[in-house]
Amino acid sequence: MTRNKPNIWKYSLSAVKGIYDAYAVSMINFLRKPVTEEYPEYKRPLPERSRGRIILTRDPDGDERCVACYLCSAVCPTSCISMESAEREEDGRRFAIWFRINFARCIYCGQCEEACPTLAIQLTPDYEFCQYEVLDFVYEKEDLLVDHGGRHPDYNFYRHAGVTEKGDKGAHPDEEEPVNLKSNMP
Amino acid sequence: MPRLIIDNQKIEVPEGTKVIDAAEQLGIMIPRFCYHSALGAVGACRLCAVKFLEGPVQGIEMSCMTDARDDMVVSTDDPEARAFRRFIIECLMMNHPHDCPVCDEGGHCLLQDETVSGGHDIRRYKGKKRTFRDQYIGPFVQHEMNRCIHCYLCVRFYQEFTGYRDLAAYQIGYRVYYGRFEPGQLESPFSGNLIDICPTGVFTDKPARYRGRRWNMERSPSVCIHCSLGCNTVANARYREMLRQEARLSESVNGHFICDRGRFGFGYANLPDRPRRAEIGKNEASWTEAVRALANRLTISDGASEMKKTAVLGSARSSLETQAALAILAGSAGWPMPAYFADPHQSSVCRTVVRRLDEGLAVSMKEIERADWILAVGADPINEAPMLALAMRQAVRNGGKAGVIDPRPVFLPFDFTHLPIPREQMEFCLNHLIHSGIARQEADDAGEAVAGFYAQLPEEAEFEEAVREGISTLAEGLKQSEHPVLICGTDIVPLSTPDLAADHAHLLNRIKNTCGLFYILPGADAFGAAMLEASAESAFEDLLKAIEDGEITALMVVENDLIGAYPNRKRLETALDRLELLIVLDYLSTPTVDRADFFLPTTTVFETGSCFINQEGRLQYAEQVHAVGAPIRQLRGRSHPPREHRDEVPGGDPRPAWRAVADLVRALDLDEIRLYTSGPESWLTGSKGPFRFFQEKIYPPREGRILPAESEVAPFKSSIKKEAKKPEAGTLDILFVDRTFGAEALSALSEPIRRAEPAAAAFIHPKDASELGLSDGDSAILRFEEGDLEIPVALNNDMARGLLVIPRKPDLEWQTAGARFPRIARNRIAGVRKETE
Ligand code: SF4
Ligand code: SF4
Ligand code: SF4
Ligand code: SF4
Ligand code: FES
Repeated sequence: MTRNKPNIWKYSLSAVKGIYDAYAVSMINFLRKPVTEEYPEYKRPLPERSRGRIILTRDPDGDERCVACYLCSAVCPTSCISMESAEREEDGRRFAIWFRINFARCIYCGQCEEACPTLAIQLTPDYEFCQYEVLDFVYEKEDLLVDHGGRHPDYNFYRHAGVTEKGDKGAHPDEEEPVNLKSNMP
Repeated sequence: MPRLIIDNQKIEVPEGTKVIDAAEQLGIMIPRFCYHSALGAVGACRLCAVKFLEGPVQGIEMSCMTDARDDMVVSTDDPEARAFRRFIIECLMMNHPHDCPVCDEGGHCLLQDETVSGGHDIRRYKGKKRTFRDQYIGPFVQHEMNRCIHCYLCVRFYQEFTGYRDLAAYQIGYRVYYGRFEPGQLESPFSGNLIDICPTGVFTDKPARYRGRRWNMERSPSVCIHCSLGCNTVANARYREMLRQEARLSESVNGHFICDRGRFGFGYANLPDRPRRAEIGKNEASWTEAVRALANRLTISDGASEMKKTAVLGSARSSLETQAALAILAGSAGWPMPAYFADPHQSSVCRTVVRRLDEGLAVSMKEIERADWILAVGADPINEAPMLALAMRQAVRNGGKAGVIDPRPVFLPFDFTHLPIPREQMEFCLNHLIHSGIARQEADDAGEAVAGFYAQLPEEAEFEEAVREGISTLAEGLKQSEHPVLICGTDIVPLSTPDLAADHAHLLNRIKNTCGLFYILPGADAFGAAMLEASAESAFEDLLKAIEDGEITALMVVENDLIGAYPNRKRLETALDRLELLIVLDYLSTPTVDRADFFLPTTTVFETGSCFINQEGRLQYAEQVHAVGAPIRQLRGRSHPPREHRDEVPGGDPRPAWRAVADLVRALDLDEIRLYTSGPESWLTGSKGPFRFFQEKIYPPREGRILPAESEVAPFKSSIKKEAKKPEAGTLDILFVDRTFGAEALSALSEPIRRAEPAAAAFIHPKDASELGLSDGDSAILRFEEGDLEIPVALNNDMARGLLVIPRKPDLEWQTAGARFPRIARNRIAGVRKETE
């Protein structure tokens, strides 16, 4: 039984082809229009749902959406959200008297947005807010609060909550009139 | 004893145990809403369904309604049972609002937990939700009826357990409503327990409304210090501010519940004007400066070890650590031993109590619940120790009889016999009652000492008809009783009553083989204070005398508002004027603090771990809840916390009072080094420590009674009078008394308590009032020698004649009367008509 001898020609050919192909690719791309985007000269428009700097949005009535329920701060894996809830003096609405996010710790995971029952906290595509001082990364409520509804302009938690800050019970969609305790009618 | 199998585990439980409890003993927690071990089962919610596979019961049944029986085989996670429970949850959620984010229960809500763990997540029901209007139900509890799941726990607790009727279930079917007939403050002083007990957010904590989630709180087991019972609590703080208290289960003290004074009384700890800096004169100083300057003032001449003789007044609200540290300080500095009660009456009665109480007599509140005959003498449980009233109620619900000998208009939420006897006749009445309830033969059989004591008791008594009837009802009850308990107050009783009560307890104990004795004391750690005073034979009256005589020129007052507590304002002021040096340590801002030459801020019970001994001699430990410092909200108001880093906590100067004493000992170069070389563990537990019960060298100590097996005082030495003392004609007795809300020094500073407290009014019998020409709501002006006291009167039929009962409110200058139990001539009372519009 004879063993197959290696085919020297075949080997040489593939070696030359390898060198040539590489040059060919380089040459082709050399003549092509470049695809690299020069940042910051060019700023690529990011998809709406990309996760960058966080905002606190407002409901369609223009009121703060956040009810300081602490769900975002509870879920946040880096514990970078802190706040204090309180009762608003004028109308008894629950709100955050202060709300703080430490962006030096945030990993832009979006868990807070996922947890938020009022659609108040939203991540925006903005990522350009580098700072030299760590303390400058600590955003207070006035820095976070915007004057629009973000990606969900129409939702208003208080229209569906079933608790009222003002007005009577039973006024929300899918609610019956309040039970009249002093009537025997069914 | 039934044996059954639950989830493949065998268990044997006592007869009558519910399956739900049997499972819990195995560590299997069957879901439940309406079952509560203190309130029993009604089977209202249907959530505790389990499947009975074999045995006397088969199929799906409620585990809270089914007694464990032999041969039962139970599966808690059978697919059928699970599906049933998921269904129940879905039904309960049909009308539930969409409001967890703004609900204060969220985070510790049983309905949330059961919904999530039951697997109901998507709403299938498309119909409309039922709604209810909410009510204002007072400053303690917030009402939000839409969240209700109709488990009936609230009304069962409120009506059955506490005996109040103003919260009830209204309407029928799916419209059942839990609330009051009209909006208004809940009448029960135990209403705060609705917050704990409601499994949903219908009843939530109003003072802590929207202040934070349970998971954000710093929570520690604590002990209530607003009366002597020492109920167990869980204290919740956040951002260095006390926000909320919950009841903590204690089998022997408070059970599952606490009173509203204890739950909402913590506000003093957060007051913005709480002093947080040391002061020399009126100038703020750092802690070290102040201690050093104080040590210099106390040292007579430089280099000499001679020290200015200083009187020390501790307090019954201080921790045991502080009380003990003061004794060590005074002992090693060669000062007179400290006193702890500013009020001489409290001092002597409390000493009697600690001398007389022993393991043979003392009972806990749990044991009171099991008593079949309870007699309280000179006690007003609802006002002096609220949870005691609840314990007594349970005894009465179980068929026991209860009576109260007390001149005040005593109200209790159950049927009891009130004997409104003048203060000086209470002992006579007690003697006569016990005599009537015990047959001579029984006493003779119980030995010579008992028979001798019994023979002295008055057989005849002249009381009015109603009182005589009451006495015979109670005597009848005593004859049948097997587990009698005597309760003895200390606030208004004559000095000899605690002794007499102990003698009667011994008498009943020898005759019935068991009789409990339960004292009410004036302060969370009055027991420890009285033990120290009794062992050192010290009393504030002696110290005051020495100050008046000029023998002592310095006074150190620790966590005691001397000016508010001493019953003779004029005498105290004169004595204080003679002082060269007044040193005050406290965590409140009081008139005494305002007068101080040296002031050191101390910590509250929430900021240091500390021990307290309650009125039955039970040592308990309250853990630290949060760090010392001004609440964040007080630093920048309603804005975000400061944005700078600092080395120290703002407002973080206060230290435990015992730590302050230790610092002083070091600055004075006294040889009691153990005070400052280590914490309380070494000096309290050491063999030389002032407390013999800290023998085991563990700190925090084990909780439990620290009473001697037998008191050193031989019983039956009370002197018994055969005749009742006649009240003086032409004068009125004045009693300054405690109230549930507004009279206890600490809780009276708490905002919600202030809102709940009734307006100050003096109770008077209608006959006395008409003799004085007063009608309900008029003001009476009491012209004492030292000044006038004006207070509206409230007429009350259910009290003794010849008496005015006035709450000891901090803002009422009752000390002008000049005595603890003053009498006033009727012609020195003037009336002012109520203004009517
Ligand atoms: S994006 Fe993630 S890390 Fe950042 S705040 Fe939200 S939860 Fe926290
Ligand atoms: S989860 Fe939403 S509503 Fe809740 S605290 Fe965060 S931002 Fe506010
Ligand atoms: S108010 Fe609360 S405790 Fe009362 S029935 Fe409703 S859910 Fe149960
Ligand atoms: S009964 Fe006394 S110790 Fe118990 S919670 Fe009320 S005030 Fe506190
Ligand atoms: S817990 Fe058994 S029916 Fe509610």
